[in-house]
Amino acid sequence: MPSSRILPEFDLLLPESVAEAVKMLKKHKAKATVMAGGTDVIVSATQGFCTPCVISLAKIKGLDSVKYSKSGGLKIGAMATLQTVADNADVKKHYPALHKSAAINGTPQTRNSGTVVGNVMRASPSGDCACALLALGAKVVFEGPKGKREVSLDDFFIDYKKTDRKPDELAVEIKVPVPKKGQVSAFNRMNRTTLDLSKLNAAVCLIVERGVCKSARIAMGAVAPKTVRLVDSENLLKGQKINASVLEAISASVGSQIDPITDVRSTAEYRKEVSPVLVRRTIEEAVA
Amino acid sequence: MTTSVVGKRIPKVDSMDKALGTAEYAGDIRMKGMLYGKIIRSLEYAHARVKSIDFKEAEKVPGVVKCLGPDDVTQNGYNTTIMKLLVPEAFNEVFGEISEMYVFNKHVKHQGDAVCGIIAENEEIAERAAEKVKIKYEPLPVYLTAEQSKQPDAVQFTPLKPGNLAGEFDPSFFPGKAYGWPDPETDKWGDDLEPECDVVVSDEFYLNKVKQCQMENNCAVALYDTRGRLNCWSSTQMPKPVQVLLADLFDLPLSRMRYITTIVGGAFGARLGMVCEPHACAMAMAVPGRPVKVEMTREEDWIASETRFPGDYKMKMGFKKDGTPVFVDAHFTGYKGGYYTHGNGPIFCAAAFVHGMYKWQTMRMKGDSYFTNQSPVGAFRGYGNPQTSFVQEQLIDVACEKLGLDSVEWRKKWHKTIGDETWLKGVTYASDDLNGCIDIAAEQFKWYQKKKKYAKQKGPKRRGIGMAVMNHTSGAWPMLLEHTVCTAKLNEDCTIELMQSVSDLGTGGHTAIVQMAADTLGWPLEDIHLKTGDSDVNGFDIGAHASRTVYCGGPATIEACESVKKQLLERASQLLEARVEDLEMDSKKIISVKGNPSKSIDARQIAKQGVYNFFDAASGKQIGIPGQIQGYSSFLANHCSPPMGATFSEVEVDVETGEVKLIELVNAHDIGKAIHPPSVEGQLEGGAQQGLGQVLTEDMLYDEEGHCLNSDFTDYKMLGPSDMPKAKIILVETAPDPIGPMGAKSCGESALMGPIGSVANAIADATGLRFVEAPITPERILRKIKENGITYE
Amino acid sequence: MDKQPITLTINGREYNILVAGHHTLLQVMRDQLDLTEVKYGCGRGECGACSVLVDDENEPSGRKVVDSCLILAATMDGRKITTSRGLGESGKPNVVQQAFVDESGIQCGFCTPGMVVKSTALLERNPKATEDEIRFGLEGNICRCTGYVKIVDSVKKAQKAINKKKK
Repeated sequence: MPSSRILPEFDLLLPESVAEAVKMLKKHKAKATVMAGGTDVIVSATQGFCTPCVISLAKIKGLDSVKYSKSGGLKIGAMATLQTVADNADVKKHYPALHKSAAINGTPQTRNSGTVVGNVMRASPSGDCACALLALGAKVVFEGPKGKREVSLDDFFIDYKKTDRKPDELAVEIKVPVPKKGQVSAFNRMNRTTLDLSKLNAAVCLIVERGVCKSARIAMGAVAPKTVRLVDSENLLKGQKINASVLEAISASVGSQIDPITDVRSTAEYRKEVSPVLVRRTIEEAVA
Repeated sequence: MTTSVVGKRIPKVDSMDKALGTAEYAGDIRMKGMLYGKIIRSLEYAHARVKSIDFKEAEKVPGVVKCLGPDDVTQNGYNTTIMKLLVPEAFNEVFGEISEMYVFNKHVKHQGDAVCGIIAENEEIAERAAEKVKIKYEPLPVYLTAEQSKQPDAVQFTPLKPGNLAGEFDPSFFPGKAYGWPDPETDKWGDDLEPECDVVVSDEFYLNKVKQCQMENNCAVALYDTRGRLNCWSSTQMPKPVQVLLADLFDLPLSRMRYITTIVGGAFGARLGMVCEPHACAMAMAVPGRPVKVEMTREEDWIASETRFPGDYKMKMGFKKDGTPVFVDAHFTGYKGGYYTHGNGPIFCAAAFVHGMYKWQTMRMKGDSYFTNQSPVGAFRGYGNPQTSFVQEQLIDVACEKLGLDSVEWRKKWHKTIGDETWLKGVTYASDDLNGCIDIAAEQFKWYQKKKKYAKQKGPKRRGIGMAVMNHTSGAWPMLLEHTVCTAKLNEDCTIELMQSVSDLGTGGHTAIVQMAADTLGWPLEDIHLKTGDSDVNGFDIGAHASRTVYCGGPATIEACESVKKQLLERASQLLEARVEDLEMDSKKIISVKGNPSKSIDARQIAKQGVYNFFDAASGKQIGIPGQIQGYSSFLANHCSPPMGATFSEVEVDVETGEVKLIELVNAHDIGKAIHPPSVEGQLEGGAQQGLGQVLTEDMLYDEEGHCLNSDFTDYKMLGPSDMPKAKIILVETAPDPIGPMGAKSCGESALMGPIGSVANAIADATGLRFVEAPITPERILRKIKENGITYE
Repeated sequence: MDKQPITLTINGREYNILVAGHHTLLQVMRDQLDLTEVKYGCGRGECGACSVLVDDENEPSGRKVVDSCLILAATMDGRKITTSRGLGESGKPNVVQQAFVDESGIQCGFCTPGMVVKSTALLERNPKATEDEIRFGLEGNICRCTGYVKIVDSVKKAQKAINKKKK
């Protein structure tokens, strides 16, 4: 029976390089769970969910960097913690949505251990960084037996905790494109208390030129089995001045694109009712 | 000259150990040869009969010492709570106290009920072995409300309680099964007086099932030693009564039962009796000579220890148009959970604290509870009063609005005071400055200025203000036994060993007791050592409940220390050849004749000579007066000096999302005398967090099969440091109690009621809507706004 | 499932031990090394009773606060760890611990070892933290006794003393 004090027995493997990790994944495939910070994997283990083998990335050097360049954009290594990303000045300046989603996630302790890449790999529909990164158009970079593979987050989230990752692939990095001219972004979430998993979250990334929105990406979490984009709402924004009537139209469009459930955190009715408010406020925040 | 420590903001006597981390709790105990005991609980079924238990495979696991089923341990039934010891036996029958729990149960009555146990060399082995135990269950229908379990065809939880009626006000003692009295002038009850009322308000409320969530998880260590004594270490609130319960459970005389209290890592009522002590002791009896530790996990806490009383609470009130309160009629039906435990207590107290608050001409409240397949309900700080606050304080506001009266002024005019009856008929208030509390809190909160300021608001964020008053008790006399024993042993160097069972749950009880001892003697704090928490040494004491530690324990301390002082002065009077009345003792322990300091004697000399009493051959006499001095008190309280208090709260409601932000809270408490002010403030501050949690975010949720959905901190939400409002506590000492030790009344439980009632009222003020279901979540707020079609400008 | 040899330096003392791969750092510290000041509160990184400081070269103070219940001991080979007993010199209280005692920021004390570790890290990271930042920084350490009021007062008192010293 699951215990929060005694974890199930598993084989802990500590590869010292990406290549070694990939070899282990090739061997064990779905019988292995990759562990970066451990905050998700260990919690799952206390609930009885664990594979016979856990591959920890703790000994692999060079996976914890956060690098930004004007040409390459942002690169977040698999072991870069939420706090490292939250502290990064370039992230704060160029990707406010990602900054906030990392800075207010969990506790100082879990931010010091947990990773942004791990948050995305977990693919919980209420994942905060996952939501911000989807709005920002990020990509995951995998290393596998057949080499490197990049997947856009648009294609990465498939269903409830189901992703495009192959069992023998290791996520080594998340890339976020260089912000376009006029790019603004924002992230918001709703929860029961300050420290809480999100009952609802929303992120927007807009390209605004002279008050007109040239393009938009709107992402929401906890309203479907996976993090989703509200494409209809995005299209309503395209080419429009962001004013009260446009925002009203966007609010009205949200409901038909989401299918929230009732769970221990909130109700389907509430999530449906409040999602338009959250999206509207997030857009207002982005352009403020 | 004496230096006083009572009333001073000194560091607590036990803080440094805790700050360093050297303080040891039950889970930190390490003993030679200690084994680990795992309780196997029914996790899949909330209601079932156990058909068979197969230990075969589990026994094969290396390191497993013993497996125990229901028939392998004591067959005596028990009740986790000590209540039956605190009332005469005749009353036990009136209250219908039963002991229908067993160490291991064949009729599973809630998810988490204990079924069997494994003793192993360590916890991991016990866990792995537990997975191999095969248990066959016969599932039974699951009941989650009183309505469901009272149905005539429902499975009976125990033959001792037909109809699954766990508790009610017995008509032999409570006519009409109600607590209350008719109008003394007319002999009429509420329904007869209702037609004469100008305003009548009523509603049906629902109170949530909330959990104490003390930070120290439940743990007990037990050893049946080679002298045939059963020893148990744990952090109960009630050490001496638990010693008795355990002795009874295992058919031992008290001389062979030793109970040692470890540092209590929070309790709030969850430990008002036993939790896993019976299991640890049963396992220890099975492996004589080896200590067994049973340590519960956090997730076991919600499903295998007791919670607050949830339930349906109806109330109706009638008033004259000038505001005169005429009648209150109420009924609380609680959902009892799987076992009897505190079947009647909190329901009775909910009624009692209605009785203690306002000057109704007649009051009548019925109470009952029905078994349900959920964690058993027990004691949680406030014990029925928080439920009453949520209901009564809201209805008062509704009434005042209908009457067109200021709700603050109404409360000031109509609350009970000195000479009026308290929560218990026949006991009248001894002291009162509730109006002082209301005035100072209103002023510091800026109640009237805010009322004006928020009269007209715009936009989605709406501010609301609300207030509430409360009454509680200091100890439970005369309803329950109040008895504390203290022995103050004077060491030969004139320092004190204070031997008294004092339950400090983090409340500061140890510090307050030592302060009172020091001040009684007029000696430095460092000269007093409190020896507590060992049934071999300590005399009787109830423990910590009903907010009694200072009020009922303090007088025993004071009396015992006064006796020491008296004996010293009497010996000094002999040695100085002076009258006792003419003597005084200073903080340096010099006893001298008043006005003649040269005629003096050192109390240390008296103390030393009392012990080291030699025969002087030359004079043919003993040198000094023989006998070690000891002070003793067996104190029984004769009052309960109920304290009152007032709380003002401000909230901000986002009417587009229903979210509530706590802005400010001011709580003024009529403490009488704060023995250790930071501890009193600490109680009121901490209790506010619990009361606010009850009214806003906390709730134990179950699925249809009786599985608790949020038995973890991830989904059982308590307010964190960022969620708390700006909180100010005012200790009002303008009305020292004539009975309480050094003027003190209680504060431990008082803290929750004001925040609950005042925040419920503040939310009503902000939204214009009343919420009768706790917790008042954003989902409930938004739904009501939408249902009522309200738009805010 | 062989045990792995690791070296941990805890409060300045080196421990060379064998640990099982699936054992958490909390479990190893409490059950193997008897460092019972690190408490089990929830086992899932919610309550912070198990908080310790671990070395981190990216932090200005060289260390950061983590939940030991969410770390596998075997991943900590060669690391330096500080518990509440190692915050001050030779078992004495550090400024933060002394402030908690002075301000009565301690009631039952169970959350305290984790709370003083967290508060120390908080002030090392952000000596000029505002009250809001202190409150946000304390999230992840649950106290059920104090309502956080005197805990925040204690942190502020320690902050004053630390900033005074720097001058």
